[in-house]
Amino acid sequence: MDLKRLWTRPESRFLILFIAILTVSFTVIALQTVNDAVVDPYTSFVARMSGGVLRLLGEDASVQGCMVRSPRFAVTIYNGCNGLITSLIFISGVLAFPARWRAKAVGAIGGLVAIQLINLVRIVSLFYIGIYLPRFFSESHIFVWQSLVILAGVSLWVVWARHASTAIEDNR
Amino acid sequence: MAQPENPYRTFVRRLPLSLAAAMLLWLLLLRPVLDRAVPASSELLIRAFEYPRVTRLVTAGHRVEIRRADFRSGSAIPTIPITEVHFNTILLLALYLATPRPFSRTQMERLFMGWCVLFSIQTLNLTFHVKLMYAMGLGEWSLQTYSDLARDVYSYLQYFTDLPARFAAPFLIWLGFNWDVVMRIVGAQRADDAPSGRRTRRTRRT
Repeated sequence: MDLKRLWTRPESRFLILFIAILTVSFTVIALQTVNDAVVDPYTSFVARMSGGVLRLLGEDASVQGCMVRSPRFAVTIYNGCNGLITSLIFISGVLAFPARWRAKAVGAIGGLVAIQLINLVRIVSLFYIGIYLPRFFSESHIFVWQSLVILAGVSLWVVWARHASTAIEDNR
Repeated sequence: MAQPENPYRTFVRRLPLSLAAAMLLWLLLLRPVLDRAVPASSELLIRAFEYPRVTRLVTAGHRVEIRRADFRSGSAIPTIPITEVHFNTILLLALYLATPRPFSRTQMERLFMGWCVLFSIQTLNLTFHVKLMYAMGLGEWSLQTYSDLARDVYSYLQYFTDLPARFAAPFLIWLGFNWDVVMRIVGAQRADDAPSGRRTRRTRRT
């Protein structure tokens, strides 16, 4: 197979870059030192944010490390639940897409913020599902909210790519 | 004269409905089938490289029981949740249903090819779950049978198929098989530049 020719095809270049960025980024966050220095503190930060929102909503919530608890319910936020996966997939998509670096930077930062907000809504809603509909907690957690967050990431990428490619067209 | 449809608007408008439809389809029809099909395919793969062939993967509820023929009778049976392995089928279906002309022959062919790739990834994911269980979860036997390197390799492969592959695969597959359609959705390719969803007769250049 002619690798040079493969690289010139936009779809194969996107897929190669996307998979490469995804592999490198997920390998980096899997390293114990990175996990201890970045991922765990970040997950604790997400837990503190969630606790803050729950307190704003009148819940007597307290946060201990990655656990958010109230007298009525408690959730522990793990690596897969902190929004980092969707964020890394989104950023890989943004970096691999043929667009200007400025558009990529704006997209990556804006997307990160949006995904974190969506994830915050997810954690808070799961907390209330745990209180009021505990039978549905597991199902809501596994396939409803995970699907929603990933599709939200894909939708954000589509919206960003539309703006980024329009900007390229306008500058031609 | 009717306005040509804007693929971006069609996609954005359809996505929430597509997600709801895909969830219903998965819950009512696909989940019971995939709960059995993925473990069956994974068992085939494990046994193909196993000597003696002792692994049996049995679906019980929404979990897979790992039954080895060489387990002592009365020993606890390890289980793995299976829903998490194949729920990403919802994402692939939702993305396909949201694209323009989802029931055209071209799109159905692409969905079939994409689904085959996703099913393979799900099979690998479950296979590495089982292999990691063997390498790390069975106490002294795991330590005797698997090297540190094997444990590291299986950990990484399980992690990789569990997180990035599981969540990114539907997006990648959708994009990879529908590059022309997705580029029209994001406006990077004009409708008149792109090949349509309809099949066109290929002409040989002379």
